[in-house]
Amino acid sequence: MDILFLLVPLSVVLVLLILGGLWWAIYRGQFEDVEAEGQRILKDD
Amino acid sequence: MADTVSAPSSQPPAPGGRPVDDRTAWSLLDDPQEWTSFSRPVPDQPSCWESNVVFEGMHCAACALTIEDAVRAVPGVQSVTVGAASHRGRIVWSDQAARPSDWMAAAERVGYRPLPAGDAFASERRRAETRTMIWRWGVAGLCMMQVMMYAWPAYVAEPGDMSRDMDLLLRWASWVLSIPVLMFSCKPFFANALRDLRQRSISMDLPVALGMIITFIVSSLGTFEPEGIFGKEVFFDSFTMFVFFLLTGRWLELRMRDRTAGALEALMNRLPDSVERRRPDGGFERVAARRIAVGDEVRVLAGEAFPGDGTVTEGATHVDESLLTGESRPLARGEGSAVIAGSHNLGAPVLVRIERTGDQTRFAQIVSLMEGASSSKPDIAQLADRMARPFLIAVLVCAAGAAAFWWGHDPGHALMVAVAVLIVTCPCALSLATPAAMLAGAGTLARGGVLVRRLHALEVLATVDTVVFDKTGTLTRDAFALGTVTTRAGCSPQQALQMAAALARRSLHPVSRALVRAAGDDVAWVTDAVQEHAGAGVQGLVRRADGAQTAEPASMRLGSARFCGVDVSPTDSLHACLADEDGWLATFELLEDLRDDAAASVKALAAQGIEVQLLSGDVAPAVARVARQVGIDQNHARGGCTPQDKLDFLRAAQARGRRVAMVGDGLNDGPVLAGAHASFAFGQSVPLTQARSDFVVLGERLKTIGDSVHLARRTMGIVRQNLIWAAAYNAVCVPLAVVGWLPAWLAGLGMAASSLFVVVNALRLSARTSDPARA
Repeated sequence: MDILFLLVPLSVVLVLLILGGLWWAIYRGQFEDVEAEGQRILKDD
Repeated sequence: MADTVSAPSSQPPAPGGRPVDDRTAWSLLDDPQEWTSFSRPVPDQPSCWESNVVFEGMHCAACALTIEDAVRAVPGVQSVTVGAASHRGRIVWSDQAARPSDWMAAAERVGYRPLPAGDAFASERRRAETRTMIWRWGVAGLCMMQVMMYAWPAYVAEPGDMSRDMDLLLRWASWVLSIPVLMFSCKPFFANALRDLRQRSISMDLPVALGMIITFIVSSLGTFEPEGIFGKEVFFDSFTMFVFFLLTGRWLELRMRDRTAGALEALMNRLPDSVERRRPDGGFERVAARRIAVGDEVRVLAGEAFPGDGTVTEGATHVDESLLTGESRPLARGEGSAVIAGSHNLGAPVLVRIERTGDQTRFAQIVSLMEGASSSKPDIAQLADRMARPFLIAVLVCAAGAAAFWWGHDPGHALMVAVAVLIVTCPCALSLATPAAMLAGAGTLARGGVLVRRLHALEVLATVDTVVFDKTGTLTRDAFALGTVTTRAGCSPQQALQMAAALARRSLHPVSRALVRAAGDDVAWVTDAVQEHAGAGVQGLVRRADGAQTAEPASMRLGSARFCGVDVSPTDSLHACLADEDGWLATFELLEDLRDDAAASVKALAAQGIEVQLLSGDVAPAVARVARQVGIDQNHARGGCTPQDKLDFLRAAQARGRRVAMVGDGLNDGPVLAGAHASFAFGQSVPLTQARSDFVVLGERLKTIGDSVHLARRTMGIVRQNLIWAAAYNAVCVPLAVVGWLPAWLAGLGMAASSLFVVVNALRLSARTSDPARA
């Protein structure tokens, strides 16, 4: 069970990393025009 | 720059009396002063501008690609992005090589009409707000999930199952992940509570903020000082969970608000008003209407509005003052007669010397009358605020009392009882009960083509028992329709109509247009030497198009009875006569063009137990006839009303205890709209009227009025259910929390469940009514 003393702090770091990912996604505008990505395949360039 | 201030009108006047064509209007946007309303300089690139436009006529992704390709091909345009869903485009262009009218015309050529999006920067602010909101919500959500994981072992472990170190480790982990929630996600609650404290007021945010701080402090002490007076219990899971649910509620609220606000702002996107001003050298230049000064001479084309009060100096025409006076018939205006700002020129181009502009015009006076009336508007919103205050104070007192009572027993337990009281009272359910239902109702209305300007108007609309309609532009369209045709023996009505339409094609008078429309495209007759006599009629030579039967052209007159030289017994309706050399040939009765669903809408309102009234500035017989056609009781129809008459009538009805909704269109309805309990404006009317009405109807369907009343009543039903639920919940749970039977986590769960109930109940409103609204 000692491994938990490593895994629990690791899970905290992991959550913080995921939060970082969420921040990146929100401020890159990923959630603003969710339809545009599906339509991108229609574009030529 | 001076030469670009006003683009010379290089084009001939728009043919056929149509409103000024777009190319000319866009050239106004080439004025750098106009740029800032929809564009801004690109920071790093000198002389580059970023413009926002809305495209009309877009319906799919392919449209966006077509526009992008067309606009990108214009020299000077650097980048184009068009959103298929939003119908909005962002165009970066260089003012060295291009003008806005260049790329606007390029988009028009491929079939999409661009409008400058003046609201782009407002929507940008909204976008930033939404991003922060999602970010706060995401932080709370992710941290909540992980803190729940850490809390889980403590709930299921039997005493002695977990080592003390492991227990401590999980608490520290929970504490670390609670910090971003407290410092970042809770910030709006703390900010609002602080602001209210500074203003010595109280809001729903104060108990919430208190609950958050106390929970966090008690839990932190439990983590780091388990032997302290507050004991070793921690509540990080309850804490993160109720923050997450509170933010979910706020976010849903923000989203629903934006949907209505966005649709409304889009309404304000339109081309600037412009007019042709005479230059000293005698030529004309097209300038923005607000640049007109007293003493200027302007040329007002058919279809344009007069930019100020003034006198006609050259030419003769008909004007439509129905927006200002309610008079639906065109009025003749010749040299020397006065025209008023905001009325429309229907006939021919005229020169007008401007005598009053801006605040001095009759238009502005009506506006100020409107503002006076709006200040006396009944405001039910304040009542709700007054009710909330004692409730919140009671909650705080209750929490303090419970804490004081339990303090001697166990301080840690005492504080958590207080937190349980603060949280379980669920300001969330109470505060969401009304706006959640109203926003859902407003969203449903917006999808059906009715925009809600003030949410509380829904509350008022639900109680309405009288609906007052205006006539012109509301029950009727602005144009005329052909009624019965009586003819001389030997001439069929169809034939008479064909001949009349042949003459009428040469005229822009509304009556002529109605005749042309009624006759259709069949051109069996041609005309020569047509002369129009302003205010009287049209005269000309008429002969058959094939030239076989009537080789001799006949001289004919179309117009008023006097112009045609015939005696017709005076009637209440509008007539046009047709005469040839032998005298009277035919009489055309002209009716106001009733909206197709007018009668059905009146009936639908009556079926809901609502009394329908008709007040109009038009002459009494015309009003009575419309009332008869749509099924309004003759006693409830009044004509010849000035705006003041209408307002007096409305006040009298309100004094009798009636709850009145007003449906109007023209500016003259402004004061009445503002004085009514609830008001509707039809979307084609002037923006000012819209700004003063509670509801704006975008389409042409009158039926939406009845639907709105029905939906408002359902909304208030849901609000009542929500309030009863929230009150019952609080009545049961607060005593439980006060006596300490309700742990904080259960309080948080109860709170979340009660607010979810409220939101889901409110969403029922949008789910069930969306289908009939679309049908």
